[in-house]
Amino acid sequence: MPERWSDYVAILMSALALGYLVYEIDRRRRKLHDVFDVLDADDANITARLEDMVASGELQPYAGATLA
Amino acid sequence: MLQDGVATAPRFRIFIIDSGWNSAAHKILQENFGLIRDLQKEDPIYVLSREQSIEFIRHHQERIGREPIIAVHDLAAMSESGTTDFHGFRLHLGLLRTPQQALLALQNFTRFLSTHRQSVDLEAEIRSDLRREGLAGAIEIILHHEAREIGE
Repeated sequence: MPERWSDYVAILMSALALGYLVYEIDRRRRKLHDVFDVLDADDANITARLEDMVASGELQPYAGATLA
Repeated sequence: MLQDGVATAPRFRIFIIDSGWNSAAHKILQENFGLIRDLQKEDPIYVLSREQSIEFIRHHQERIGREPIIAVHDLAAMSESGTTDFHGFRLHLGLLRTPQQALLALQNFTRFLSTHRQSVDLEAEIRSDLRREGLAGAIEIILHHEAREIGE
């Protein structure tokens, strides 16, 4: 058991620092998940729509060097 | 498509959906598209026009404000299991507010596309390399400036 108040403070500060680290990693990871994500069954409709546009000729491989 | 005299079949279909928000992400994509195209010669890129993008987003309103969106369809995965499971990945470039964040994300995404064309477990590599999942990913987020910058 800690013998001095300073030991308790040190333990508390360490716990807070660790908690903040965990929070910050989680926050940044959630941002990365929002930015980059996999396409799965939830995105099937979107994927199908894009593939239909290709199959119908509505979309062609882009031949330009820059975006208009 | 030939590369070093050997035919390379496309692995991905890349779609760019950009309704034209006046944002840092939109400008960065415009400025760097030529380079992205030159780096991705093996895979076809389909660019929806502004009108096509707006019409597309009207049908998927939960994506409003996340454009430009770059969606990549994994043709290998789709030929195995269609769209009922993992079949690609996407980048919501519009979520990045600064030019530096947008450029870093674009570079990461482009590098990932180029270096994982032969991957047999693309989903696992997306989770570790792009999304920084797992303990190694946590360390990368803290120590590696790219993941830190994009995650801010």
